[in-house]
Amino acid sequence: MTAESRPSSGASRHLLPASGAKALLQIRHVSKFFGGLAANSDVSFDVNEAEIVGLIGPNGAGKTTLFNCIVGYYPPSKGEVIFDGRRMNGLQPDKICKLGMARTWQKVRPLTNLSVLDNVVVGALRRTNSVQEARAHAHEQLRVVGLDAKASLLAGALPIGERKKLEVARVLATRPKMLLLDEVMGGLNPAESEEIIQLILDIRKKGITQMVIEHDMKAIMRMSDRIVVLSSGEKLAEGAPKEIVENPQVVEAYLGAEE
Amino acid sequence: MKRSLPVALLVLAAAALAVLPKFVESTYVLHMMILIFINVIVGSSWNILGGYTGQYSVGHAAYFGVGAYTTMILMQFKHVAPWWGVWAGTGVAVITALVIGSICFRLRGPYFVLASIAVAEIFRVCALNLKDLTNGAEGILVTDIPPLMIGKTQITDWVSKVPFYYTGLSFMVLIIAVSALVRRSKLGYYFQAIREDQDAAHSLGINPTIYKNTALVISAVFTSLAGSLYGVYVGFIDPSTVLALDLSVQIVMICIIGGIGTISGPVVGAALLVPLSEALRSNAITDALIKAGLVNAESKVGGFLKENLAHAHVLIYGILVVVVILFMPEGVLGFFRKFSALAPRQRGEGGRRPGEGR
Repeated sequence: MTAESRPSSGASRHLLPASGAKALLQIRHVSKFFGGLAANSDVSFDVNEAEIVGLIGPNGAGKTTLFNCIVGYYPPSKGEVIFDGRRMNGLQPDKICKLGMARTWQKVRPLTNLSVLDNVVVGALRRTNSVQEARAHAHEQLRVVGLDAKASLLAGALPIGERKKLEVARVLATRPKMLLLDEVMGGLNPAESEEIIQLILDIRKKGITQMVIEHDMKAIMRMSDRIVVLSSGEKLAEGAPKEIVENPQVVEAYLGAEE
Repeated sequence: MKRSLPVALLVLAAAALAVLPKFVESTYVLHMMILIFINVIVGSSWNILGGYTGQYSVGHAAYFGVGAYTTMILMQFKHVAPWWGVWAGTGVAVITALVIGSICFRLRGPYFVLASIAVAEIFRVCALNLKDLTNGAEGILVTDIPPLMIGKTQITDWVSKVPFYYTGLSFMVLIIAVSALVRRSKLGYYFQAIREDQDAAHSLGINPTIYKNTALVISAVFTSLAGSLYGVYVGFIDPSTVLALDLSVQIVMICIIGGIGTISGPVVGAALLVPLSEALRSNAITDALIKAGLVNAESKVGGFLKENLAHAHVLIYGILVVVVILFMPEGVLGFFRKFSALAPRQRGEGGRRPGEGR
């Protein structure tokens, strides 16, 4: 076992790019079992404020399961999730959203019979009781993702690329401290992916922390400050993008061992 | 500007309805109007839960019956005037709704529908068997309604249909106003978000349990108002009228036929269904066919219709629902809206009808 693979919060702190950054999300020895199957086992790492952390791994590595454990879709079987100094185990997704963490879905979930604007208004109403205020805020978020011209269309009428942007606008409208983006580039063409990368970098400029699951290696290497690699439910490696591509264990997990 | 037109129309319609009893003396017309009002109230109430929030309850007879029974029991056995009893009825309906909601909302989709039917049946069976409280299958017959007095002046003695007409009208205006307000508010957005995708809504900070129960409570309060009004107006209730599965189904059908999730849908649905079922029940359709000379009263067909059409209203209801679901999935209202939206555009696109220019 190498130093990187050992779940240790101390180790990850040393990798901080900026000094004095604070860990916004702490994942402590999280395991999730479905029957006898361990979808996650003993995963630990930190995400610091205003950082972009990429979460990668082969299919079935447990990336989405980890997301679901973090946002309260189901509770972790073991371990702790600490967000902004608060233990989040057992909290429902709506509470976690109120605390400032929002997620997008790998398979997009637009509110199909509502307009694009109304989809975002639903998110914006998290922070206000006034529909008028929420609409203004929603328009703002639609401008951020470049969908303002389509505000009055039904969400179900959007093509996949724009649905992904709508998901981002909708979670941005809840004014989160942290976003968990689950494959926002899946199924997009290169031009659309490029727009999403720019969007994610712009969101970081606002000081919003992000954790991103992505399969597009080039994109994730470009965006991420740090990368966490999962394989078969365990954390395989953690580090700066350059360290990850040079890590023999990661190469093995993705390409198979040399005979 | 867009909003002011429907509002103006609504005010106009309410004003016309308010002065109607001054010009119409026919008690039959007033009777029909009161029935329509009651159906609009239950349809609109169901619409808040089923149409906005997407929880298809087929057990709304429970709230209708609970309201009716509370008001009637208080009036007949405890001598509490119905205008107080009605509010006791809504209170009992709220408690009923919270109990039912906390059980049934753990289930989703078709399982929720089945649970809602089952719970409503429990209420019917209870009403049938708790003879000390409800008189069981004999039902409760109102012998007299105390006159409504303010100070020393008598407002009404409830003998004519006019006071019931105005009570129904005001309840109906109230539920329509509440529907419109809810739709434009945060509640409306949250209800619709839950309807569209409960998990997505949950992750956007909406607690589905709280908001589904809120929708149910609003819905139950107005359904129980309609039930109380029905009980006092008709003067007789029993489990097979106010707690029946038929009633639950009819409440849903008002919305399906009018248009689910719209404010005017239940109004259109009730305005179509009540006269239709009344016409079927009273054999008016057979009489009209005979009068028009289409069917000979002496012939086999005429005899058959006369004999059976009155009993066939449930069958015809069923056929109507199938037709509406197949050809107008958004209800009568949605159908005409789509039709009027399509027509000008088709004309605009070259103005060529299919088959032309061959």
